[in-house]
Amino acid sequence: MNIKILDSWLKQYVKTKATPEKIAELLSLSSVSVERIEKYDDDFVYDLEVTTNRPDLMSVVGIARETATVLEQNGIEARFILPKLAKPQTPKKDLIEMKNDPKLVNRLLAVVMDVRVGESPKEIRQRLEASGTRSLNNVIDVTNYVMKTIGHPTHVFDFDRLNTKTLIIQEAVKGEVIETLDDKNYSLSGGEIVAVNDSNEIVDLLGIMGLKNSVVTDKTKRILYFINNDKPKKIRKASMSLGIRTEAAVVNEKDVDAETAYEALLLGIKLFQEVADGQIASEIIDIYPNKVEKHSVEVSLEKINKIIGIEIDPAKTLKALSNLGFKTQIAHGKIKVEVPSFRAADIKIEEDLIEEIARIHGYHNLPSILPPQTEIIPHKFDNPFYWEQRVKTAMKYWGFTEAYTYSMVSEGLFEGPLEDAVEIANPLSEELVYMRKTLVPSLLNVSLENKKKEKIKIFEIANVYNKRVKDLPEEIMTFAGVIKKEKVSFFEVKGIIEQLSQDLGIKELIFKQSEKSGNGSSVYVGNEYIGEIEILDSNLIDFELNFESLIKHATLKKQYKPLAKFPPIIEDLSFNVDKNTETQALINEIKKQSELIVEVSLLDQHEKSRTFHIYYQHPQRNLINEEISEVRKNIISSLQEKFSASVR
Amino acid sequence: MKNSYESVILKNMETELIDIKNTAISFILEAEDLDSLEETKLQFLGRSGKLTLAIKHITKVPMEKRKEFGILANEVKNTIEDAIENQKSKLKNQKLTKVIEKIDVTNPGVKPLLGHLHLVTQAVKEITNIFERIGFERVKYPEVEWDWYAFEALNFPGEHPARDDWETFFIKGESDSKKGPMILTPHTSSGQIREMERKQKPPIKMLNIAKCYRRQSDISHAPMFHQFEGLVIDKDIAITHLKGTLDYFVKSFFGPERKARIRPYHFQFTEPSFEVDVSCGVCSGKGCKLCKEGWLEMGGAGMVHPNVLKAGGINPEKYTGFAFGWGVERVLMMREGLKIDDLRLLYSNNLDFLEQF
Repeated sequence: MNIKILDSWLKQYVKTKATPEKIAELLSLSSVSVERIEKYDDDFVYDLEVTTNRPDLMSVVGIARETATVLEQNGIEARFILPKLAKPQTPKKDLIEMKNDPKLVNRLLAVVMDVRVGESPKEIRQRLEASGTRSLNNVIDVTNYVMKTIGHPTHVFDFDRLNTKTLIIQEAVKGEVIETLDDKNYSLSGGEIVAVNDSNEIVDLLGIMGLKNSVVTDKTKRILYFINNDKPKKIRKASMSLGIRTEAAVVNEKDVDAETAYEALLLGIKLFQEVADGQIASEIIDIYPNKVEKHSVEVSLEKINKIIGIEIDPAKTLKALSNLGFKTQIAHGKIKVEVPSFRAADIKIEEDLIEEIARIHGYHNLPSILPPQTEIIPHKFDNPFYWEQRVKTAMKYWGFTEAYTYSMVSEGLFEGPLEDAVEIANPLSEELVYMRKTLVPSLLNVSLENKKKEKIKIFEIANVYNKRVKDLPEEIMTFAGVIKKEKVSFFEVKGIIEQLSQDLGIKELIFKQSEKSGNGSSVYVGNEYIGEIEILDSNLIDFELNFESLIKHATLKKQYKPLAKFPPIIEDLSFNVDKNTETQALINEIKKQSELIVEVSLLDQHEKSRTFHIYYQHPQRNLINEEISEVRKNIISSLQEKFSASVR
Repeated sequence: MKNSYESVILKNMETELIDIKNTAISFILEAEDLDSLEETKLQFLGRSGKLTLAIKHITKVPMEKRKEFGILANEVKNTIEDAIENQKSKLKNQKLTKVIEKIDVTNPGVKPLLGHLHLVTQAVKEITNIFERIGFERVKYPEVEWDWYAFEALNFPGEHPARDDWETFFIKGESDSKKGPMILTPHTSSGQIREMERKQKPPIKMLNIAKCYRRQSDISHAPMFHQFEGLVIDKDIAITHLKGTLDYFVKSFFGPERKARIRPYHFQFTEPSFEVDVSCGVCSGKGCKLCKEGWLEMGGAGMVHPNVLKAGGINPEKYTGFAFGWGVERVLMMREGLKIDDLRLLYSNNLDFLEQF
């Protein structure tokens, strides 16, 4: 959450000569991030990013306290000026009764005042506008001005329009309808904190936004100034489900300090008196069932130094903590602090306090040291990440482009029955609902979306997700690719997988006619099923392999085979054989005939004829013709016998 | 007597081999084209070539001298073969020299195929290399994760906004009685507890790079993105070590001229917590439209919260640690010169985009 503050406003609470640039720099380094400083007439505006644990810094006073502390720590003179607010005299009059629910609201403060609605003075208008809040009238402006100054949201009702003797704080019922002060209608989901009047009308959506029926108008004469410190969780839920993200809601959902609610009340009364001719008309109501408990945190100097990594100066540290509102003491090498109420939710354990000490010391003042290497872990070079990188690199140099598609897919891109899907309960869109079980549909989608390209070669390595009973889904690294081009050959894809296996040191790669429907091949390493090549049409082929199964067989081990001393004898043999006979079966049969056959490959194929390129070689000597003709005879007769193949 | 007779035969045969060699070499050097060179080769090395026949006479050499003869014969053969090869390449080069005069070198080359790795893959590789050099071990943990690992064990209170279904993707189905609902992990920090469980005992130096998911989609957020998480736990790990690691990474990844800083921030699972900034590469830290007063936010870091150590079974009295989790896409886009204005472009899979890298 961000807050914008004018430099002059800040300096009402910090006495210093530091420039805005210096303040911005030191705040960013030691306290709260100043995202920007901009010139604003003769002034400057700080745009600050406040973290969710520091709702106290959504205020000028909070930022002033930090500013004074960090300036002083860095040797720049600065003093924090705490606003002095005293309880005013009030008439002994009850004009309204409050019925609180301590499960919803921690503290309720209220007072009735007579006012004159008009324009705010220039200073208030300017400060609000510079902080991004539109000036409306003096009464509304005071509520916003108090929130920005103190950090606690406040509210005003037109007292007469409330038209009630009691205000009851309760949870809304589902279906109740309200109209907010910006003229919008909302149907409540139930559970929102609301205030209802005697006629059982909802007159406020607490902590989030005022309602049309009770809002201050130009005609308002009497107001109910109302401050509620609410249960943050309730506010968050209501604000998110209604989609109303006002500044008040954003602060109220962050555990804002109930003690500051009282300061906000006093400052508000004072300002109504100053800028709206305000007159107090009732007693101050203060219902405070859930008091902030005071607590202390203690930590040893030894631990502080150990975590920060250097030795800190205890005296300087105590001064800084005290400037930040902590009550400090030091004894027996330990620092003990009493935590101020506005930090109660944030500072609870030793480490919280160490953070305060370290940041004020300044992280930029710490040295940079690499962590020691205290353990010897053998580096496994050929880990799955290595293989992944190696395969991706190979694909790149074979002309493929790597895609990254979303793990979540639409119903249309999900393969398999939907009941098998790992399904997202709260998807962002219909396109991203199911955790995919296959990658190919996503890649085909990429090819569709790039239809202007005539040739596409893409691949991806990513997880697929298989649902399991009462357990996390099984996540399997999967490798898929798509080739789109005119008359693409199955063998182009097969060749890639073959060469890849070669590069990964995988032997026993086997291609079989696909068991799945459609045209293509199932891929095995030995007996293990690895995946599929799928021919979709004459211009489109895809493949999808289980990458984890594949790399299980990968190895970097190399073995030297003595080089052959004698050249091989090479010959080509052509056979007429039935078209449906698998080449691999023929090659296997040829190889079986003799150990002298070291390599067989298909050279050519026409209709019924197939020509094989056969290498004969003996490791120790030259082969003689008689030996080869013997083997050749066996090849011819066995192919004849097993496949009715005739030599040509 | 016998010995001297045999020596004479050997001597004669050696002389014959030397003669063959000398004749062969003079023929070879005189060959003016590849055809006549081939002819010379047949004449000497062919099946009935001079050298082949001479070698066959080895049967006349006494047994104990055959080895000596064999070595010489082999030398002669090698010398002739080398000479032929030399002459061959010489003749070929002569031919080539003539051709080069005719070609237009400005014509396009015959290019081998070249595809493209995704920017994220390129960044992941660099990040891995950078951290492995200082002893980090890369790991991998589930993307679909239990609430326990992603939030509960990381000290997130039950009502924390990140745990509601505005920000995190939930998986349909029953919750686990101990580990809570199933979600898509919104950060790599879920790997922290898993790593503590795996190692059981410090020291730990983990690098977890993985896909993460959040219910966000705008110019700087995609619903799926990548983070890299570092976790170091050991005795006496201090903020200064986090600073050292950060400086090393920033100088390695962004270049030595870029600076890093840490400043206070707030996260549930670290205490103290930091936001990490890197000086803007566009304005060199002077301040411009792209940055915040000269700095770009890189991501979060901090000292591991004692509750997180406890949840991972590590004694926070004995060990301390630091952790960081930064966006891969984010550090990519912070690099000077890349100039991608919408993060979602990375996942558009527009090939014209992918083929640029």
